[in-house]
Amino acid sequence: MSQYILEVKNLSKHFPIKGGLMRRTVGYVKAVDNVSFSVKKGETFGLVGESGCGKSTTGRTILRLMEPTSGEVIFDGKNIAALTRKELRKARRDLQMVFQDPYASLNPQMTVGEIIEEPLRVHGIYSPAERKVKVKELMETVGLNQSYIDRYPHEFSGGQRQRIGIARALSLQPKLIVADEPVSALDVSIQSQVVNLMEDLQEQFGLTYIFIAHDLSVVKHISDRVGVMYLGRMVEVGPKQKLYEQPAHPYTEALLSAVPIPNPKARRERIVLKGDVPSPANPPQGCAFHPRCPKAFDRCKAERPELIHLGGEHYVACHLYDEQEKSAVLTM
Amino acid sequence: MSQELLQIHNLKTYFFSDSGKIPAVDGITLSVKRRETVALVGESGCGKSITSLSIMGLLPESGKIVDGEIIFNGENLVKKTDAEMERLRGNEISMIFQEPMTSLNPVLTIGEQIMEGIILHRKVSKQEARERAVQMLKLVGFPRAEEILSEYPHQLSGGMRQRVMIAMAMATNPKLLIADEPTTALDVTIQAQILELMREVKEKFETSILLITHDLGVVAEMADRVIVMYAGKVVEEAGVEELFEKPSHPYTEGLMKSVPSLEESQQRLYSIRGNVPSPDELPKGCRFAPRCDKAWDRCFASEPDLKEIAPGHAVRCFLYQSEEGNEPR
Repeated sequence: MSQYILEVKNLSKHFPIKGGLMRRTVGYVKAVDNVSFSVKKGETFGLVGESGCGKSTTGRTILRLMEPTSGEVIFDGKNIAALTRKELRKARRDLQMVFQDPYASLNPQMTVGEIIEEPLRVHGIYSPAERKVKVKELMETVGLNQSYIDRYPHEFSGGQRQRIGIARALSLQPKLIVADEPVSALDVSIQSQVVNLMEDLQEQFGLTYIFIAHDLSVVKHISDRVGVMYLGRMVEVGPKQKLYEQPAHPYTEALLSAVPIPNPKARRERIVLKGDVPSPANPPQGCAFHPRCPKAFDRCKAERPELIHLGGEHYVACHLYDEQEKSAVLTM
Repeated sequence: MSQELLQIHNLKTYFFSDSGKIPAVDGITLSVKRRETVALVGESGCGKSITSLSIMGLLPESGKIVDGEIIFNGENLVKKTDAEMERLRGNEISMIFQEPMTSLNPVLTIGEQIMEGIILHRKVSKQEARERAVQMLKLVGFPRAEEILSEYPHQLSGGMRQRVMIAMAMATNPKLLIADEPTTALDVTIQAQILELMREVKEKFETSILLITHDLGVVAEMADRVIVMYAGKVVEEAGVEELFEKPSHPYTEGLMKSVPSLEESQQRLYSIRGNVPSPDELPKGCRFAPRCDKAWDRCFASEPDLKEIAPGHAVRCFLYQSEEGNEPR
């Protein structure tokens, strides 16, 4: 059996741009553009990048909360992207999601008990009495007081709401949880509580996580491997130590150097990138990063780089390494 | 001329509602020297933003300064009339906000918005205001400044909008710039650009900055001095290097340990237990005591004062105060 629980192959999600009087499709936003990666059973795969890079769309397309335009998502041997509605419903028991905004993702008219119970009810698991016991168990597991079962979401703080969202995701005993910015809306002191909770649950239930976030420090802390996205494309994938200590892609390098370090004495060399992330509706030709890349050369403007294997589990989509490979071959 | 540009003394800003009063800012004292960057740090609900709105005279209707004074450049702002504050705001004191989209008017061009403040405060002609606006836009990094003048906010990215806000704030050459989470809504590579721009602008205009943020990385990079707030009170104050080297209040210490490090790896994150208390149900005694690992009886019974433990380093914690007197241990 494969060591991978999830294999994403050439996944794309394009949104049509409608324009003109007839609302015809005049182009596409390539939110996710030919992205491939694999996630091992029991690991945390971090997905980082700046806003608009397609990390959230990737997460949602994997779970088919959005229909992929093309590509395959192989989970436990099945291609999620090709399942019928009925099959998908069954598969969703194994695939759950935790959302960023614990204010918007909980129905304000349902009690906490009802929210956590809903997935069990929908999938027709257990009798109502058993479900109540299960809900209390789940609340205990995520560190919520059981006596709060009849309270409404507005009575809880952001951190507690995120615990409710996690309990809901856990109720069906999923194998994989896609967590989209689960701690970014939380205060620092609450953020670390939720990160620790997620790590405990992973150990306890053998969960696999795809952890989507823009905060590079949090992603480094929780992940085993990390993928970096830029303008809908995966530009680098690697084990976290490797990626953070020896970033290969100039974008990863710039991204890491931009993070302010909470130490006033640690003044470092910073690569300040010029300009903004271009619009994904009209990405630059060739390598999408080339207009902002301090190391770009002619080939980067013309030809889109593919992911190259750098050894170990480290991959990068950059012509710098392509060239090296070639010159290495030539000198041999 | 005093070295202190801004001195806030025992400021209390309360909110009044049907269910009673909420002490959002509860007796804070702080100062900002000329050309100094002071960071005001804390989590949501600690009162850092209400402090800045109190200085600007921009409190919502339910909020009121009930005590204390805000001395800016020798004058008490609390005593000023609305008309006097209007002359000061955007002129001597400017402010930039977290969300540059909601603080720019979507139906006015960038040029109209920058020129409005210049014309209002500088009493110059439209032509002169336009020249100043172009000059400011170039300064904040728009090479095609003339074109930007006639564009609308929606045509710009988040980072560009924040540049426009900075251009607008600095156009009247203010003595104090209040920046409330100026980079929180921005991506990290854009944040780096904006922080660098703020440093340049500060040098050029010799402005003081009151920087409100929750991000300790931003604090370390920008601040000369740091003030940590918790539940409406200042709990610690120190020079930036001293604070990061010797965080002394258990809350400051906890906050620093909660942030995962990019440089080192740790097995498990430290976390402060419990939640930030809501300002309408504050605990007795030290407000941090219920979440504090080092709290003892005294902390739950009475509230410690803010006491200096080293030159320029003050802490509100009984750990540093002896039982009878107030001498540090």
